[in-house]
Amino acid sequence: MATVNNLLIQKGNEVWTVQQGNSIKDTLTLMGEKNIGAVLVLDGPKIVGIFSERDYARHAARLESMLLDKPVDDFMTHSVYYVSPQQTVDEVMALMTSKKIRHLPVMENEELIGLISIGDVVKQIMSDKETTILGLENYILGRDYSG
Amino acid sequence: MATVKDLLKAKFTQVWYVTPTSTVADALKLLSEQQIGAVLVVEAGKIVGIFSERDFARKALSPEVNLGTPVGDLMVRGVYYVTPDQSVESCMAMMTAKRFRHLPVLEDGKLVGVISIGDVIRQIMYEKDSTIQSLEDYIWVHMI
Repeated sequence: MATVNNLLIQKGNEVWTVQQGNSIKDTLTLMGEKNIGAVLVLDGPKIVGIFSERDYARHAARLESMLLDKPVDDFMTHSVYYVSPQQTVDEVMALMTSKKIRHLPVMENEELIGLISIGDVVKQIMSDKETTILGLENYILGRDYSG
Repeated sequence: MATVKDLLKAKFTQVWYVTPTSTVADALKLLSEQQIGAVLVVEAGKIVGIFSERDFARKALSPEVNLGTPVGDLMVRGVYYVTPDQSVESCMAMMTAKRFRHLPVLEDGKLVGVISIGDVIRQIMYEKDSTIQSLEDYIWVHMI
């Protein structure tokens, strides 16, 4: 079964981050430029949280403020789950579904090496299932089994 | 193959909406209370747009936007929709191509529900698993 590592090979290791203390305004600007739904918040090299469009919408509604000049770390989600490159896509999917999260950082030896989204995971799982179906059909039809 | 109608049957469909004159604050409050990512904008019984967390995050930076701004100024117009008879796979194709997470369902021009990318993916995964299961059963029964 495909692993997180397979996903990273396809999508690359680029991770968009902001430093704690950066403003919401700068953070939203980055998210807009890169057309992404969430960024990791770092303290130096260390992950301290994740900030998403959802976090922004929820806090703005709750505090009835645009919050643009506030530091991003005041409104990020602190408890960041992460995965390792060896984990299977099924494990990642289960974690995302049970925690209702769309993004997970990938850590190897305490180093951040990527960020995967639920879209990446779903695409991989679908294609794995397609491959299985094709392999079974070929087996039944007596074609060369290459799955 | 499953259709949009099957998806709507499987879930309790409460459609939340705001009007173009609702404020951004009202729309965000509704998203938060209902734990949803997007809401339809309806005027005189007609869908005129959709407003999502993403639209807010993207447009919040423009100086003329604040929480009192009418949703009509920030919503995305020209909403794509599906009909109950459409296949779930065709919805998936549309959502992927246009990068939408939600699609309203219209029947005879009337809004009957909203489906999310989560609903669609769950159904397609289920169908693929069923296919795998029946192929495996076939192999057990006929070929081993």
